[in-house]
Amino acid sequence: MAEAIVVTLRETWSGYVDGLRLVIPRLLAMLSVVAAGWLIAALARAITRKVLAWLRVARLAERTGAAELLRKAELPSAERLAASAVFWVLFLGFLLAGLDALGFATLTALRLEISILLPRVVGGLVILAIGLVFANVVWRVVLLAAVNAGWPSARLVGSAVYFLLVTIAAAMALDHVGFARSIVVAAFAILVGAAMLALAIAVGVGAGPLVRRLIDERLAARSRPDTDGSAHL
Amino acid sequence: MSTILSDELLSELMAVGQLDVLVGLPTLNNSDSVGPVVRAVHVAFSRELARERTALVNVDGGSTDGTPDIVRDASIVDRETLVASQSLRTRHRISAPYHGVPGKAAALRTVFAAADLLQARAVVVLDPEIASVTPESVAALARPALRGEADFVSPVYVRHPLDGPLVTQVVRPLFRTAYGIALQEPLAGEFGCSGPFAARCLEAPAWESDDLRLAIDLWISGVAAGDGFRVTETVLGPRRLTSRPRPAVAALVPQVLDALFTCLRLQEKAWTSGSRAGAGRCTAPPTDPTDSPPTVDAAGYAALFREGLSALGAMLEPVFRPPTLEGLRAAAAPDRAVEIPDALWASAVVELAAAHRHAAISRDHLVRAAVPLYLGRVASFAAEAAGLEPRGAAERLEGLCLQFERSRGDLVSLWTAPSR
Repeated sequence: MAEAIVVTLRETWSGYVDGLRLVIPRLLAMLSVVAAGWLIAALARAITRKVLAWLRVARLAERTGAAELLRKAELPSAERLAASAVFWVLFLGFLLAGLDALGFATLTALRLEISILLPRVVGGLVILAIGLVFANVVWRVVLLAAVNAGWPSARLVGSAVYFLLVTIAAAMALDHVGFARSIVVAAFAILVGAAMLALAIAVGVGAGPLVRRLIDERLAARSRPDTDGSAHL
Repeated sequence: MSTILSDELLSELMAVGQLDVLVGLPTLNNSDSVGPVVRAVHVAFSRELARERTALVNVDGGSTDGTPDIVRDASIVDRETLVASQSLRTRHRISAPYHGVPGKAAALRTVFAAADLLQARAVVVLDPEIASVTPESVAALARPALRGEADFVSPVYVRHPLDGPLVTQVVRPLFRTAYGIALQEPLAGEFGCSGPFAARCLEAPAWESDDLRLAIDLWISGVAAGDGFRVTETVLGPRRLTSRPRPAVAALVPQVLDALFTCLRLQEKAWTSGSRAGAGRCTAPPTDPTDSPPTVDAAGYAALFREGLSALGAMLEPVFRPPTLEGLRAAAAPDRAVEIPDALWASAVVELAAAHRHAAISRDHLVRAAVPLYLGRVASFAAEAAGLEPRGAAERLEGLCLQFERSRGDLVSLWTAPSR
């Protein structure tokens, strides 16, 4: 009986030690890959920040309005944000490679799924970022044109255009990621369709004369900048 | 030189020989107004400048309305006047297209190259958009250079102090602050200059820049003021523009601001060095306008200022320093009349100029965002000057210029500060 216990214990411990002998090198390999990845990602982050500073990306961000957008969202500057993105993309890549080194089937499957999803998420974020910058530029152009033309509710017009463009960018980003694609497409179609239909019904059928009168009154009461600027020169 | 002058123009110029006065007339579809200008030039050649060797050089940007033909016909039609005035010299008339991208800059470069080639002592550049050109005004622009008294002759028009607020409220005071010379009309499209001044302008590398296309008139004034040339002014009487439609104020203000700030950027080395306050005073006598003051829709401008600042305030935060933006917001308060004092306006314009230099936001957006601010200042000044006689309003404009001059240090430090 005692001998059987000893044999069992010895086999158990022997198996555990064998397991440790197998895992510890893999764990060390993973840690070394992650550590090297962290160093490489940190180096890439520093280089990215230097290059973006040299390219005066902060100035470009100010000019396009992206900096203003980031300030509103309480995010870091464009340079720091881009450098952080580079860091995390690289670091996550190394982390996944490190997990692969452990050799666990479950983790490998997880890594495969993440490695498929990650580029889509990054692509989606890039689409969203470009969409936000584009929407901001268009918002400025529309707002300036509306203000200088003396349009009523210039801010409302600008905000509507901004909201529409951001909605399109968000839908494109979600579609790229593949996140609930059918729901996103249906929701977008319903949202835009409903808004247009509501506007058409409100203006065309329900309150046409009222809206016309209100617009006439507002436009009539407003001053517009001179249509001939000769007197200003 | 040969790349500036077309073969056709070069061969015509070679036949002219040396000149005393060359009158340059850049045109582009000016058939409705160019005839009287050409006739005034030819009368000036045969009457006021009868002893000088003269030529009219019309450089055309590719008119499709027959402008060059009208230039040629106008001189033929006017033959009787010319014969009657017994001119002592041959009067040359050349009309030719110019090289390069159509625009006044390319046209002026051609005129200067022609003047340099013909060793003209005086050059007069006329604007076909100004319908009030007279033989006397052509001669008045030429004479100071002919006599060797000045290198650049800027016009002064007799007009009410409330007329041309874009010039009086922005261009004139900022130009004077930067260059230290009090020109009444730094934006004028007509001027006179000496041959050496034309040659100096030709040497400038700025011609190769696209920036010069819109800023050419101010750039010429800036070269005269910034490079130490002798500058003078001559009174030409009331200015009357042709009746063709012009850009709306919402388009005109951005154009002029962009030209002004671009001009300052192109010549920043010249004006940022040293102290220029009071460096030059021009000698044109004060003029008393006979016209009634122009009507200004002060209430409408004030409303546009309030709405514009309210909508664009966030966009302007990187442009203005906090006290200036606060001051503008206080001026836009709905419960009282818009009042933008001289000091606040000077700060606003100086900061706009610096923000344009450093591209704090898109330059195009910046100058467009300035439109409501400009309208607010026009409303404020119009309300203030409403009860003043023309001379009193002119004194207020002089006070504004002096206020701008006090902010020169601010302008230079903001301008030369490193970009973010």
